[in-house]
Amino acid sequence: MSDTELSLEFSRESYSLSALQAAAYRLIGTANCRIEPSEAGWTCILEQPSNAAIAAADIRSRFLIFVSDEVMRERVETKTEAVRNLILALAFGGLAASN
Amino acid sequence: MAGFNGPEHYVPLKSALLPLRFERRADGDYFVANIVGDIIRLTESELSKLIEGDVIPGDGLYERAYSAHLIAPPDEKAKLQLLALRLRSRYEFLSQSTALHIFVVTLRCEHSCPYCQVSRQNTDKQLFDMSQDTAEKALAIALQSPTQRLKIEFQGGEPLLNFELIKWIVCRAKELARPLSKVVDFVIASNLALLDDDILAFCKTHDILLSTSLDGPADLHNKNRPRPGGNSHELAVRGIKRAQEYLGRDCVGALMTTSESSLPRARDIIDAYLELDLDGIFLRPLSPYGFAVKTKWIRKYDARRWLSFYEEGLEYILDINRTGRRFPEFYAGLILQRMLTDQPTSYVDLRSPAGAGLGALIYNYDGRIFASDEGRMLAEMDDDAFELGHVDRDTFRSILLSDRLLELVGRSLTQTAPACSDCAFEAHCGADPVYHHATQGDVLGIKPISEFCARQKGVMTLLLDKLMNNPDDAKILRSWVRH
Repeated sequence: MSDTELSLEFSRESYSLSALQAAAYRLIGTANCRIEPSEAGWTCILEQPSNAAIAAADIRSRFLIFVSDEVMRERVETKTEAVRNLILALAFGGLAASN
Repeated sequence: MAGFNGPEHYVPLKSALLPLRFERRADGDYFVANIVGDIIRLTESELSKLIEGDVIPGDGLYERAYSAHLIAPPDEKAKLQLLALRLRSRYEFLSQSTALHIFVVTLRCEHSCPYCQVSRQNTDKQLFDMSQDTAEKALAIALQSPTQRLKIEFQGGEPLLNFELIKWIVCRAKELARPLSKVVDFVIASNLALLDDDILAFCKTHDILLSTSLDGPADLHNKNRPRPGGNSHELAVRGIKRAQEYLGRDCVGALMTTSESSLPRARDIIDAYLELDLDGIFLRPLSPYGFAVKTKWIRKYDARRWLSFYEEGLEYILDINRTGRRFPEFYAGLILQRMLTDQPTSYVDLRSPAGAGLGALIYNYDGRIFASDEGRMLAEMDDDAFELGHVDRDTFRSILLSDRLLELVGRSLTQTAPACSDCAFEAHCGADPVYHHATQGDVLGIKPISEFCARQKGVMTLLLDKLMNNPDDAKILRSWVRH
């Protein structure tokens, strides 16, 4: 049951589906988010439950912050995946060899 | 004429970004953690610059990021080796399974606590007491664990109602451990109402520690923990004093459980511990098992209210420590140990992979084996999701390699869980699959609506703010860490 729906557009060039999905996940408990493909990219439909504790504008703002954070996390992931694997291999590779 | 290279020769090679996790704070800044969990605080602009590589030596941000192992010059291999070494040290607990073995020697209890998480029984002795045969088989499994030092904890119900079996297990465990060159420590988790001279003498002879429940001053304790006669507090206090006198101050500890009535009384509760000269306090929330669910006590407060209680309690405890008396809050101590050292934790709730089975095994009175103490609590609520086997047919190896244990540990890893894998606190947190199964029907759990997650983040944020902003508090908090 939702009283309010907010619709937000995100371009395919700037936002990945996985970043939007991760942001939607973090919104669980505050609002529901449906992601649909659109001509330019993605439409995120935020459904505010009728008993929501926070205002619709705050939900929008919170979601945009989550999206922004997830985009940064994707940048970190892209830039650090190789070195992370190297550190993990240095830490635990010996265990695999001995087994 | 001697020449100098131009400034362009001194521009360092661009540093590589190292793996990091971040968490946005309520004020808009970020906690940013490296791969082993060292955390610094950055503004949004600083974090963005760091990620885009817009940092150079001398700008302040470079130095902070470099010392926090968030960036490394391309030719600096030592930093990666150091991080790998530290990471491996933090996971050393995986090579030491399984240290804690809990024997539920009876489910009977003479208390009738409405928040009882183990669904105690007051009836048939034959039905709810562990037999010697079951205990013998459980001991055989416990001693098959690779660890050289294991702890056997006796729980109930009220374990002193089956003290004869405790005596037998202690003697038999020592007998079986000797040829294996293993050391066994013992703890009895008791309300102490039945403590007498014979029990104390046996504990003294065999170096058995006592762990009891103390919920605060008499009115609060007796409200939380009713028993015939309404004298639970009187008996607990008498038991603590006798144990301190007979066994030594450090041989008896107490735990409190937060009920709704506790929330406005943090100071009273802490004062009750101080009056008994106890060596610290563990401010514990209620757990969602047993009668705490049936009586709906678990729903009477949420994480936000508990955190408010915890913060008030911690402030008061810091005031006490400022007077020169060492009196730690034990949960803060456990988390600080994770934050400030690379020692592997022995506390099963702050582990991922989860401590279930790998850190602790529970032998129920009826011979069933569970992955955690909370798992057997759920079984008393007709949920056997964490039952791993039975002493009649299993070995340590068959339990540890069982599909059920591997699945629940594998499915609950915070290292790969949504919202956890990117969380700045991941290195210091735990998976707690039993809690999330009990509250959400899923061992992984949806962390944005997890009260466990909310509490963990709240406590860690509180501690980090003190470590970063208040040198006096930081000095006290650091003194609670065991090295």
